[in-house]
Amino acid sequence: MRNEPIHRIPKKGLTVWRLYGVISTIIVIILAVVTIFLTHKFQWPVFIYYIVIGMTIINPIFSIWFIPKIRWQHWRYDVREHEIEIQNGLFVVKRTIVPMVRVQHVDTAQGPILKKYDLANISISTAATTHTIPMLVSNEADNLRSRISELARVAEDDV
Amino acid sequence: MMSKEIYKLHPISAVINFVKGLKELIIPIGIIFLSRFLNRSEELNFWTDLLPILIIGVPVIFYLFSGIIKWWTFIYWFEEDELRVEYGLFIKKKRYIPFERIQSLNYKEGIFHQIFGLVQVMVETAGSTDGKPEVELTAVKKDEAKRIEVQMYKSKNQKSNLDYLGNAKEGEFISEPLSESIHKMSNKDLLILATTSNSIGVVLAGIAAVVGQFSEYIPYDLIFEELSLFVQFGVVIILFTIIVGLLLAWLLSIGLTFLSYYDFSVMKESDKVIVTRGLLEKKKVTIPLNRIQAIKIVENPLRQLFGFASVIIESAGGAAGEKEKKMTLFPLIKKKQLIPILNDLFPNFELEVDIVRPPKKAKTFFYRMDFIWLIPVIALCMYFYYPYGLLSMLLIIPVILLGIWRFKTAGLAIRNNQLMIVYRRISRITFLVEKKRIQVVMRKQSFFQKRKKLASIQATVMSGITGATAIASHLDEVETNTVLDWIEHKRLS
Repeated sequence: MRNEPIHRIPKKGLTVWRLYGVISTIIVIILAVVTIFLTHKFQWPVFIYYIVIGMTIINPIFSIWFIPKIRWQHWRYDVREHEIEIQNGLFVVKRTIVPMVRVQHVDTAQGPILKKYDLANISISTAATTHTIPMLVSNEADNLRSRISELARVAEDDV
Repeated sequence: MMSKEIYKLHPISAVINFVKGLKELIIPIGIIFLSRFLNRSEELNFWTDLLPILIIGVPVIFYLFSGIIKWWTFIYWFEEDELRVEYGLFIKKKRYIPFERIQSLNYKEGIFHQIFGLVQVMVETAGSTDGKPEVELTAVKKDEAKRIEVQMYKSKNQKSNLDYLGNAKEGEFISEPLSESIHKMSNKDLLILATTSNSIGVVLAGIAAVVGQFSEYIPYDLIFEELSLFVQFGVVIILFTIIVGLLLAWLLSIGLTFLSYYDFSVMKESDKVIVTRGLLEKKKVTIPLNRIQAIKIVENPLRQLFGFASVIIESAGGAAGEKEKKMTLFPLIKKKQLIPILNDLFPNFELEVDIVRPPKKAKTFFYRMDFIWLIPVIALCMYFYYPYGLLSMLLIIPVILLGIWRFKTAGLAIRNNQLMIVYRRISRITFLVEKKRIQVVMRKQSFFQKRKKLASIQATVMSGITGATAIASHLDEVETNTVLDWIEHKRLS
């Protein structure tokens, strides 16, 4: 049995995911209000009310509470000398191994919300794919970026 | 050292450039003619009559001139072990490509080329990932094309002399490299290829769509009124139509196959494979063996039944300006013949290995996900077409059978540095890749899989922009972990 990768996303990351959930909930509520207004005005069928109200109740439960929680619980990563291992997923848990030799470049990115919380995303590109480790503490993300690019440079094809 | 002689393209390339431009105008021209045809008015109206001509005329003239200018200004020469190209009137474009960076030279002969004994040369480097060749020489004489090749070998050879590596190889490089034919397709093979290809279905769908589009204009009422006399032959007529449709589809498929695969042959030349094919447009594509990322052996059910397979290679760059970076190496080949050929081409690969199959408990996993779309579809059918909609229940049978078939096909094998994944969508696909070509390995495990200790594993290689992925589904957890361990670097001590 393989052990799970050792590092987790900082708890702050969970907060930011919840915040994203809040933002999407606000958007959904605005859309819901508009739809209800239009339905009322143009006498659209009644079942639209039920659908819209149902959605506005279910959406925050998932997007603020449930999904961020599960996602945070599943997220694990590990950067070793010869490979990067990432575990993520919601219902399907994905475990990805990127050999260090294949890493082409590493980026960090930080939007306004992440900046406020002093977090950053780090994305690792190979010739074919890109993998993101989200919500790392800025400092750590920078360190990790330089560490990966260092390791990627040293790594040699031995096969 | 190297003579700095400047070469031009053949004048016919102006015509080819022009025609290529016109091709892009086909749709707007078609639309305008059609609208003109449908909307016949006697009076001459500026907006409906003259404007379209203007809209068409201006680009036509533009393409004509740009075609001529491109030919007029296009020059190429060899200098300092580089192929140098320059063109453009107002904006001069220059492109210098070091010979050692050239992955392959590919050739194409359209109709114009064949009349004048010319050839289109496409220069591919590793960088040309967007599907376009780095440099295109629209039309040059065949011996000029040869000259580029000779120059390239010469300079590569000089390089290797400097490295004290290639002394022994000198002769081999300057003279024509030895090439041996490994596979040719006879006309009979092409017939089988056309008959068993999936494109028959596509062609049938196309015919159906066209007939559907024009059905408004076909006076069915008139036809059927006359035919009502023969109504008792209705079944015969339907059968007849089906047979004619199939025959047409078959003939079209044969036509298309001959057009693109006529005179198909594969040759091996030191470290490259050269594929030539085509009837009206002859293509010659060179694939450097070390650029090949993965091999896919595809057997559609019909071909599998008769022991045929086709082979597709995923290549990193240098696939002759085709959109995708995959190339059909063998469109149709007997599986028995295939194994020795592949062993010869790719000695690193072992083809006959024992496959780890998914455990029995995984069987239901191969079709139960399909119920997610199947149940709503059946429910809707039953609701809207009540009595006959019940028949949609029968859909469950083929879905489950296909699932079981997938279960029986799926598998995985690791041999030293080779990973083999076998899976089926409809066709059976054998995906072969070397460890050093694998970009990423991913193990996936859903909640339900976890309960049964199952997991899926996929490997991605470089190919085009997104890469190519093969997945082995619902294997024993332990087996997928073996793959993860295998891809990890072996720790010393």
